Amino acid sequence: MVNSAGGVRVGIDTGGTFTDLVAFHPESGSLTTSKTPSVPTEPGRALTDAISAADIRPEAIASLVHGTTVGTNALIERTGARVLLLATAGHEDIPYIQRINRKSLYDLRWVKPKPLLASRRDSLGVPERLNSDGGVVRPLDLDAVRALCQSVKDEPVEAVAICLLFSYVNPEHEQQVRQIVAEELPGLPVSVSHEVAPIWREYERTSTTLADAYLKPLMDRYVASLDGKLQDAGLTTPWAIMKSNGGAMRAAAAAASPIQTAQSGPAGGMLVAQALGIQAGQPNLLTLDMGGTSADVGMILDGELRHTTEYEIEWGVPAAIPLIDIKSIGAGGGSIAWIDAGGFLRVGPESARARPGPACYGHGGTRPTVTDANLILGRLDPGYFLGGRMALRRDLAEEALATLAAQAKMSVIDLASAIVEIANENMASAIKMVSLERGYDPRRFALFAFGGAGPLHAAAVARALRIPQVLVPMFPGNASALGMLLADLRVDKVWTKAFRSSRVDAGLVSQQFAAIRAAAEEELRSEGFTGEPTVAYAISMRYAGQNYEHHVPVSERVIDDAALQDAFDAFERIHAERYGYAIAGEEIELVAFHVTVSGQRDTPRLQAPLGTAVDPHPPSRLVHFRGLGDVATAVYRRYDLPAGSNIDGPCVIEEPGSTTLVEPGMSVTVLPDGQLLIDARTSERGNA
Amino acid sequence: MSEPATIDPVTLTVIDNYLTSTCRDMGVTMMKTSYSPIFNESLDFSCVIFDPQGQMLAQAEFCPSQIGTIKFTVTWTLDELGLEAFKPGDVVIHNDPYRGSGHVPEHMVLKPVFFEGELFGFVANVAHMSEPGAKTPGGLSGDATEVFQEGLLLPPVKIRKRGVDDNDIWKIILANHRTPKVTYGDFRAMMASLDLAEERLHELLATYGADLVRRSCQELIAISERRMRAEISSIPQGVYTFEDVIEDDGISDASYPMRLRLTVGDDEVIADFTGSARQAVGPVNAIYAVTASAVYNAILHLTDPTIPRNEGCYRPITVIAPPGTIVNCEFPAPVAGGNTETSPRITDMVFGALQHAIPEKIVAACGGTSSPFLFGGTDPRSGDLYAHFHFEGVGWGGRQGLDGNNMVVTINGNCRNTPVEVFETRYPSFLIESYRLLPDSGGPGEFRGGLGGERLLTVTEEVTVSALLNRMLADPWGVLDGENGQRGGIWVKRAGHDSWQTFVEAYGTMSPSKFSGIRLHPGDQVKLVMPGGGGYGDPLQRDRASVERDISEGFITMERAVAAYGYGRE
Repeated sequence: MVNSAGGVRVGIDTGGTFTDLVAFHPESGSLTTSKTPSVPTEPGRALTDAISAADIRPEAIASLVHGTTVGTNALIERTGARVLLLATAGHEDIPYIQRINRKSLYDLRWVKPKPLLASRRDSLGVPERLNSDGGVVRPLDLDAVRALCQSVKDEPVEAVAICLLFSYVNPEHEQQVRQIVAEELPGLPVSVSHEVAPIWREYERTSTTLADAYLKPLMDRYVASLDGKLQDAGLTTPWAIMKSNGGAMRAAAAAASPIQTAQSGPAGGMLVAQALGIQAGQPNLLTLDMGGTSADVGMILDGELRHTTEYEIEWGVPAAIPLIDIKSIGAGGGSIAWIDAGGFLRVGPESARARPGPACYGHGGTRPTVTDANLILGRLDPGYFLGGRMALRRDLAEEALATLAAQAKMSVIDLASAIVEIANENMASAIKMVSLERGYDPRRFALFAFGGAGPLHAAAVARALRIPQVLVPMFPGNASALGMLLADLRVDKVWTKAFRSSRVDAGLVSQQFAAIRAAAEEELRSEGFTGEPTVAYAISMRYAGQNYEHHVPVSERVIDDAALQDAFDAFERIHAERYGYAIAGEEIELVAFHVTVSGQRDTPRLQAPLGTAVDPHPPSRLVHFRGLGDVATAVYRRYDLPAGSNIDGPCVIEEPGSTTLVEPGMSVTVLPDGQLLIDARTSERGNA
Repeated sequence: MSEPATIDPVTLTVIDNYLTSTCRDMGVTMMKTSYSPIFNESLDFSCVIFDPQGQMLAQAEFCPSQIGTIKFTVTWTLDELGLEAFKPGDVVIHNDPYRGSGHVPEHMVLKPVFFEGELFGFVANVAHMSEPGAKTPGGLSGDATEVFQEGLLLPPVKIRKRGVDDNDIWKIILANHRTPKVTYGDFRAMMASLDLAEERLHELLATYGADLVRRSCQELIAISERRMRAEISSIPQGVYTFEDVIEDDGISDASYPMRLRLTVGDDEVIADFTGSARQAVGPVNAIYAVTASAVYNAILHLTDPTIPRNEGCYRPITVIAPPGTIVNCEFPAPVAGGNTETSPRITDMVFGALQHAIPEKIVAACGGTSSPFLFGGTDPRSGDLYAHFHFEGVGWGGRQGLDGNNMVVTINGNCRNTPVEVFETRYPSFLIESYRLLPDSGGPGEFRGGLGGERLLTVTEEVTVSALLNRMLADPWGVLDGENGQRGGIWVKRAGHDSWQTFVEAYGTMSPSKFSGIRLHPGDQVKLVMPGGGGYGDPLQRDRASVERDISEGFITMERAVAAYGYGRE
């Protein structure tokens, strides 16, 4: 991975339907792509297929980062391992009691979510107890733990999760239990809560640890099978898997902490947004990744990604892993339009998925989707979907919309227009939540649009939010894979310890920062990194009394009183920025200390293929725009356009994986690197 | 902008979603910045938007009982102060139950929203403060006899005028609460959520224009009313009755029957509580707003949840509750438990009344108590006073085709528990020994009642405790031949004793479940038991596979399987 000079860098994103590959060839500076069907029964083949479809010799690959939905899907479809949970005695029901709230009001039919345990009998109590300072109230009964292990010896348990109260303050009891499990139940994979998620709140920590154990046998098999296939094919370099937080880890490390991969695909998309935004001189981006079933929105501020730990497998079942902050909504090309009991037109969250897919795919879908509406409006070319590899059927789309149109007492064309508009509004609301809600004005950002459907909807979404510019990357339909070839190896470590701002032991903090930095660096080197890593430090803080923290970056490894004061000031600024007030002089609580060590690689300049001249007489077709009706619209092939081209809207710019739509009154420029920059400021402002 | 005769459905959808998401965003600000676990862990607050006529425009998914009550809190405030009293940047604070608040701990803050010099409406947030300055820490004193013992009463007054805090009001409040720092942090969080909502409404109004937004809101209200009436007309018309009882009031062992006569008309519902017991001496009285809110909740739970939640939903519902009764008490009766205890019971009564009319929609009784357990003292680590309102989930009742959920807050609430790790870090007084589901607590039925639970606490520092529980003496009832769920309660095992006692036995309180100001000492233990839900349908009809799964999961014991379900006897 470090010796990438000369060798090909490859990113591969495996989704439910397609496996996307993007390769960077350093000698020519060019990018190549491939898109091949995924092979759920034989995941290794999907990767080798993708590599050969891109005409790459495996021996020539210098680095390979892979994004996978294996973990995500097993969580959603509940196909993971049978897990044994060892909890503090008296608290075995934590996964069943949960937080005692419910998903939605006014629903008497709601069913509380089930934990990732096969049976309540699989949760066993360990006699021990720590208090909130980590002091031992009741010593760990080692013999009792041995007896528990013996009692399940003949059960078909596949993995063990250990989660004891206050282990994030003092991990000793968990470590001892792990030791005994290793002796008594040899060979079983084990997940330990203070390692998986060293956070307070026992339900959230337990749920995350369970999810990790739940995926371990599966991820282990997946990595082993892939590894075999890749080596057989001739791959000589170690390969890595994308983590949800935007870093990459060696495949073996991923098998050891599989829950970290839960949002692996979306993380790739955010990395590419970050890199290409910087490349285009746009460090402040709102991102819109619209695919077949959902749209993910996120934000990049000053070229930096935003992170969170609030991820849920389903409502009420959290996995508190560090991940790039993305909001996902059910608005994709396959989202189904319907009319609710009140006569309101709704779009999503139900999706036609890959199968049967939108009606126009001709795979038996009969319910109207966003893609069907786009086709009817002329926004998609039925003959150039996936570069012409799949013909879309307008007649089936119209048939699917006709029934709903009759119900809504609208014409088919007006209904299609309304479907697109509602999908756009849903995405605009999601973008507001990640921007306005946090005090950021969308008008000060550019919209980075990718995913197969993102560039088709971005202009309208930008218009609704008054976002002035839209940036469309090269190969928007393969953007996640593109991001993966940019991922750095990364190790994150945390030390959990609570201090009040008036009583911080600065010496101890310095010492701990140094110690966890050393441990992280060692881990990075053991994964094969040889250069000089970059190191980032941060402290989680809140006002003493609050329960939710903010991540405050600190620049100095040596913490003294002055460095602390700077950090407290930074916290107050963050609080005031997010919530409109700070409480001057109030005691601040420091609860966790983070070190991130990454083996940064040079970020290659990403360059799209370019043409030589703009066709002065482009073909055109009728595209329906709300309020204007059918408008003759020029159609261009994207990679035939030269850098510096400036084209007035309306126009459609097509490429095999995506279609970019520029609305009337807007214009688009081809940047030197081949990205498209739409000027979305229009003189007239319709009220959406 | 042109003047369309009607507003298109797309615009209506967008505006409705925007208002609802604004209410949600207020809640996120509350959660992230507030101080007391009852806000940041439990989310015991609600966020709403009103128009100048006091009509609710939108609400978010927080606590349903508060959402129904806040209608009355807001309209009272507007009536008492008059619309002309509101200036941009003002914030009003209010918690007086005899001026429309639900009970004393629940404080509302309200801010007018002006756009282009004109009053558009109000954003408001009602939240349960963990320390209201009552006679005992945390309020909800189980043996209060007057509202004055339940905390500092604040009529609607401006705590901020034209953007500037009124420090005199702040001083009065902070001098009366045991935990001024927490109170200050929590009120700041509430006020920050109003500022955020105001900003977001300004964005909406700037985009669409005030006129279009106003007309859309009125149209949405009309749509909701129309849909609500259509939903009600699908319930068979008739007069349905139900009776339940509040077991005691903390002052005597007298019980208080509540009687409901529910008339379902063509497109409206009238809930008449005439014939219910006179008001109690102790704190189990519901003010009218609480009773009305409990009925609204029941009806909202029986109708289409996608109907936009605004004023129109409430219009087809009429509630009659004679003054001076337990369902509409008169000044200065204490009311704390009316909101946490009597309210969920009233909601359940509506379901009970309709069990034969719409058996596919109703549920059997839930555990019916919030299990309020209050405590406070001095934290030896800081020397500061602390106070906490601890509450619990219950089993929900069985439903047609579905068992009741285990351990979820009553249907009138939607709050989260406080994690053991947060609880013990914040409060020095207890070690939580265990927190479990309670096997056999769900009422037997073809569809079993959900399980209640049990929490065992050992006192680690001297602490003063109070309780205001319910269903320690009266069963959560089953429906349609389903059996009752198990009751709950509270018991104490004093240091050096080896048996559990009620607080009546140990300390001579008047009620085993409602008392205040009992001092406990290190080594004492407290056991809180949360009731299960009632069963639905004849338990002998329960399919055998479900009985076997219940046995293997430990939800029921083998004895219960044999005795209640006839297991092994067929």
